[in-house]
Amino acid sequence: MPPVELTLDAAPSATGLRADGLARVALAKVVCTGVATVASLAYLHAVNPNLPGHYPLCPTYALTGWYCPGCGSLRALHDLTTGDLASAWSMNPLAVLVVPYLVWAWIAWLRRVVTGRPRQFLAPAWVPMTIGVAMVLFAVLRNVPAFAFLAPH
Amino acid sequence: MTASWDPNQQPGQPYPSQPVAQPPNNYLVWAILSTVLCCLPLGVVSIVFSTQVNSKWAMGDVAGAQDASKKAKQFALWALIVGVVVEIVVVIFYGALIMASLHAAS
Repeated sequence: MPPVELTLDAAPSATGLRADGLARVALAKVVCTGVATVASLAYLHAVNPNLPGHYPLCPTYALTGWYCPGCGSLRALHDLTTGDLASAWSMNPLAVLVVPYLVWAWIAWLRRVVTGRPRQFLAPAWVPMTIGVAMVLFAVLRNVPAFAFLAPH
Repeated sequence: MTASWDPNQQPGQPYPSQPVAQPPNNYLVWAILSTVLCCLPLGVVSIVFSTQVNSKWAMGDVAGAQDASKKAKQFALWALIVGVVVEIVVVIFYGALIMASLHAAS
């Protein structure tokens, strides 16, 4: 084999080794995030936030008496782990809507890491804009008496 | 900028004026989570920068999108820090209130 080909061979294997280590770290991050989420949900399933005394109060609610967009999300997630979609929805509809997006985002992250293919596209800008506007509207409206159905109950 | 616009540039030409890069992360997941769970005002700023990542990338402003990506990440992180600090303060405050009331009762 001519020496030129040897040097050509050496370069990709060296970068390939480094890429391999990075890929392993990236995969570990994805897996750890997934495991931590499942473990948290298992704890949330076992320790019911509908009963007082287990979890600290939401700081926004404690300080201002207003419901923040996250108020009721712990109870909603607990209700989802028991399969009670109706109760989860009445606690925090936003949390119920966000869960599928989070699951999809995690799967997309896992797929990027496993296949090594970078992000291919970004959603049109109105998608994150709509999400942002919806969250601010939700935060305001659930404190308005006429929209009390958005508040945790 | 008029300089970046070349009317002779055809779409799909092999050498575009901007270097080809992968879309930056818009950190929308972290922006949403920090808005819901940590600190609404800073989280909303993070979502605004998330939106800018998508809009600037769509316009071909690679540097602007990367800058917005960095800011979306920073504001989500600050929202997280503020949220955690406020939560700790509230827990300590309520803990002290409960201890004080227990002390007064005994």
